[in-house]
Amino acid sequence: MREYAVIGDGRTAALVARDGSVDWLGLPDLDSPAVFGALLDAPGGGGFRLEPVVPYRTERRYLPGTNVLETTFLTHTGSVRVTDALTLHDDTALTPMRELLRRVDGLSGSVPLRWSVKPCFAYGTHRTRLARRAGVPVATAGSSALAVCAWDAGEPECHGGVISGRFELPQGRRAMIAMPFAEQEPLVLPARRECEARLDGTSAAWRSWVEGRLYTGRWHQAVMRSLLVLKLLVHAPSGAIAAAATTSLPEEIGGERNWDYRFSWVRDSAFTLAAFLRLGCPAEAHAYFWWLMHASQLTHPDLKVLYRLDGGHRTPERTLPWEGYRRSGPVRIGNAAAGQAQLDIYGELVQTAWLYAQAAGRLDADVARRLVELADLVCTRWRQPDSGIWEVRSTPRHFTQSKMMCWVALDRAADLARRGLIPDQHVDRWHAARDEITAFIETRCFSSARDSYVRAADGEDLDAAVLLGHLYGYGDERRIRSTITTLARYLRHGPYVDRYSGEDGLAGGEGAFLACSFWLAESLARTGRLPEAIELMDELVGLANDVGLYSEEIDPATGDFLGNLPQGLSHLALISAAGAITGASKDASR
Amino acid sequence: MSAWSAAAGAFVGTLALTTALRAASELSLTRMDLPFLLGTVVTINRIRAKAIGYLMHFLNGQIFGFVYFAVFLAIDHSGWWLGALFGLAHGLFAGTALVNILLPLVHPRMGSPLTSAPDVALLEPPGFLMRNYGPGTPVVTVLAHVGFGAIVGGFTALPA
Repeated sequence: MREYAVIGDGRTAALVARDGSVDWLGLPDLDSPAVFGALLDAPGGGGFRLEPVVPYRTERRYLPGTNVLETTFLTHTGSVRVTDALTLHDDTALTPMRELLRRVDGLSGSVPLRWSVKPCFAYGTHRTRLARRAGVPVATAGSSALAVCAWDAGEPECHGGVISGRFELPQGRRAMIAMPFAEQEPLVLPARRECEARLDGTSAAWRSWVEGRLYTGRWHQAVMRSLLVLKLLVHAPSGAIAAAATTSLPEEIGGERNWDYRFSWVRDSAFTLAAFLRLGCPAEAHAYFWWLMHASQLTHPDLKVLYRLDGGHRTPERTLPWEGYRRSGPVRIGNAAAGQAQLDIYGELVQTAWLYAQAAGRLDADVARRLVELADLVCTRWRQPDSGIWEVRSTPRHFTQSKMMCWVALDRAADLARRGLIPDQHVDRWHAARDEITAFIETRCFSSARDSYVRAADGEDLDAAVLLGHLYGYGDERRIRSTITTLARYLRHGPYVDRYSGEDGLAGGEGAFLACSFWLAESLARTGRLPEAIELMDELVGLANDVGLYSEEIDPATGDFLGNLPQGLSHLALISAAGAITGASKDASR
Repeated sequence: MSAWSAAAGAFVGTLALTTALRAASELSLTRMDLPFLLGTVVTINRIRAKAIGYLMHFLNGQIFGFVYFAVFLAIDHSGWWLGALFGLAHGLFAGTALVNILLPLVHPRMGSPLTSAPDVALLEPPGFLMRNYGPGTPVVTVLAHVGFGAIVGGFTALPA
């Protein structure tokens, strides 16, 4: 999994392997059925291979400040560079609905290459028809179509559902392969000159977007890469942000913990808004907040754990007849967690609104009214058990982090009311419920034996998620400090931090959860343990793959990535920790 | 049939349609807000957008009322049932072509199939039959338009 880089256009994302193979691509949108799915089913999933015929090794990087990938193949006969991008729309030409561009430059000597495109529409459930239109190979299935336009890349051949070609590229020559896609409209077959311009324009647009972003600290490169990853996970038409670009990459090789993450989780909302605001992306922050308020409108005052990128909330879970990544089935699409009860999300949403109100200085009257109703709902609901932030599939429990976030919801609502941003007629009720939650947590969710806040009421298991309560302002200072020490002792292994101890209703285990490591680093900085925080952060930044990406988890034994990739929460936690530690460092140096 | 009764019917019909849509929104049947969609064409200020949107919506109601009136005149028939039929066609047109295809093309702040990074649209596109705004949206929209048409047709058929 470490071998993959991601490219995206704000509508969809593709995973490109180190060997030049595009093994994952959903079209037309990120959460659409995959056209290339070799990542999850090597024999039948389809993909777009492009590699030298002779033995090679590769080097790769993103063009600075962009989501455009550059892979250099080094062979004994010479070297070539492949530039991959999902292009951004421009107004200078009639552009395809979506377009994958692959440009090949001969750098030295002469390199023989081969390429093949095997489309696999709708997860391979639709039969692909191949034909030629104006001499261009076109693959169609239902209302979807893609073409393969090749220039100086050999004459495309169509055989057995595969479009392929071979060519030799000497030094100084350039080849180009474009793959335009259309859904419910005619294909646009681009001209080479337009493709060249659009690829350069795409790089320029990404660089322009990154310019002026606000982090200049110790981990600048990692933060900027994380921001670019988040940007390609943003669904441009609405501002929703997907939790990850993929589905069913396993949390344990051979295990059953394979989930579809191509939805937007309320759990991530406060981190998302904070990251965009912190790094100077007000348009993205604004769009995301309003998308969240629109999406949750139909279910108000209930909140769903996750929403689809189009704002819907139904995500029925089913499995595909695919073998899974390294035979780690089942491959799931949809996510049954949408039907769970998860109380922490009320705190996340109110915290998000609180951050937005701080930045904007005001709240829309409708939003203000809904926040009041949410706070009222928390007053009545906080005593209920839930599935918690980790969406365990065991019996609902009184998870500590859920109670902490209910406290956050009421605390922020009261603060908004105090500032006159939302109606204040129920503030006394909110204060009373907040104090009851505090009493519950301090008496039933803190273990004297562990000297730590524990995973759930009356238990002894630990949970790194309680650090979130601390990051959002909950907790007795002494107890927080001892909790950090306890979590570091029992859940941390080097830079790796496990999510929790105890059972969760699923068989098997999982890797260390990267976001928890970043939360620990941030907590260390916020409690004055700055050198430890910086040391841990340095280690964590070193865990990214060669192009700066993080998955959800890492296998501490092997360093292999686990879980979906790239994982928004990992990158959000990195940005938050880097900002907090940099801020604490500046404060300490004053 | 008179133009005045058609105008009155269009006003009352729009009032009923707007009320029905707003009630459906409060009942969590849809997230669609036509005045908001219209108003954000000209401003990003949400409060101002809703005010302007309501004005535009009533103006559109008048325009559609007179289109109905013109067809009634042309076929020399009117009545609430014929108006309801026009409303059904109107509602289907609104959900499939008008709001789903035409509005995203002219709306500067709405996502279209071509919206991509680094831009971020502020309004999610409605999708076919506006289902992105909730699965109940097509039914609510069509019924509201049928009601609008029936009222316009009924008023237009009133004796002068």
